[in-house]
Amino acid sequence: MLDPTGIFDFISTSLLFWEVITFAILLFLLYRYAFPPIREQIDKRQREIEGAIDEAQKTREEARELLAEYRRQIEEARGEGRRILEDARKQADAQRERTKKEARDEGDRIIQRARDEIGRERESAIREVRSEVAGMVIQASEQVLGRTVDHDEHERLVAQALDDLEAEVAGSSTGRGTA
Amino acid sequence: MSGMLTLGQLSPEEVRKEIIHTFEAGQHAYVHLSLFGIDISITKAVAFLWIGAAVTFLILFIGTRMLKDRPGAYQVIVEEIYGFGRNSLAGQMGDEGRKFFPYTLSLFIFLLVLNLIGLIPNSYPVTASITFTLGLAMLTFFISQYVGIRRNGLGGYVKAFVPPGLPLKIVFVPFMFFIEWISELSKPLTLAMRLYANILAGHLLIFIFLSFILYFGTYMAIISVPMALVLYAFEIFVAVLQAYIFAILTQVYIEIALYRQEH
Repeated sequence: MLDPTGIFDFISTSLLFWEVITFAILLFLLYRYAFPPIREQIDKRQREIEGAIDEAQKTREEARELLAEYRRQIEEARGEGRRILEDARKQADAQRERTKKEARDEGDRIIQRARDEIGRERESAIREVRSEVAGMVIQASEQVLGRTVDHDEHERLVAQALDDLEAEVAGSSTGRGTA
Repeated sequence: MSGMLTLGQLSPEEVRKEIIHTFEAGQHAYVHLSLFGIDISITKAVAFLWIGAAVTFLILFIGTRMLKDRPGAYQVIVEEIYGFGRNSLAGQMGDEGRKFFPYTLSLFIFLLVLNLIGLIPNSYPVTASITFTLGLAMLTFFISQYVGIRRNGLGGYVKAFVPPGLPLKIVFVPFMFFIEWISELSKPLTLAMRLYANILAGHLLIFIFLSFILYFGTYMAIISVPMALVLYAFEIFVAVLQAYIFAILTQVYIEIALYRQEH
């Protein structure tokens, strides 16, 4: 020991000797027991994190595909709905047209029936008027002549006169519609 | 009052003894041992060397005993220390140097622990001993020479000390070789001196400021104690910084030797 104060203890053989041994043992222990588990732990966590990131990416990919699939389905459903609506509208239109036509036909039929009825009524009214007129004419003739006239003969004459009149009226009023 | 007078009455020689007391105490042998005539006594310095080594090992070993997938605070610290070694200390010049980082990281933690333990009152600052720092610096030197020769081959390694393209080869080649080797040999010396001088100077400054109280009287405490406190806080910073410098320079020297031919 050159320096008894210890401030410049060169060379302290005991310290050097124990330093080398202690440091060698320390290095051995650290290399053997401390560093490998720490490294493994760090690497393991790194692997786990990488795995988690990969997993998350995969999940996101799946979610994106799923979303696209759903969007497609919704689009399809919407198209389907539109088509159904279109069909229904068309059907409704057709139904309406048919109903309208039926109603028109029915109306026409009713009108026709009414016309026929009117025609028939008119015929019978005319017939009644004729017989009434004929009766009245005969009665008037009997009072004028003061005697009974041949009823059948008279009736025939009156009918003929009425027919003539009718024909005349028809002749003068052609173009003014039906009689 | 009398105590104050007594303190003020210490002679310069007594004050000097008080200042260097810590370093003298480091020489005190607990057990006297000798190997082939060489003194290997277990002194206070050796005891604190062992304490430092034990603490260094335990810091990391306890960390490995409680490794979990979901790390607690302590595990994060241990993993951060490891990551610091792997990412910050290693790979200064190339990836091949990375395999030496457990060594430099061990060195860093060991020196840091010794520096900090040395700051505890009545302990012994092992890193304030030139024998200790020079021992580690020589270890760095031998490792760097060994890996340099193993990677580059003995011829390649020695030749790489002389830069190519020198004029007047007969003169300049031996000259440059000589200069480069002086530089190479000065590396462990500066490495050892830097750590030793920094730690020793820090401790001496604290002791000197406190010794003013012994020499001038108790009223000096108004100046001495705050100054000693400031220096003590600064010493904590120096302890971390010097441990880091020693470790990273060791790593750099090893990697320089590794890539001797490329540079």
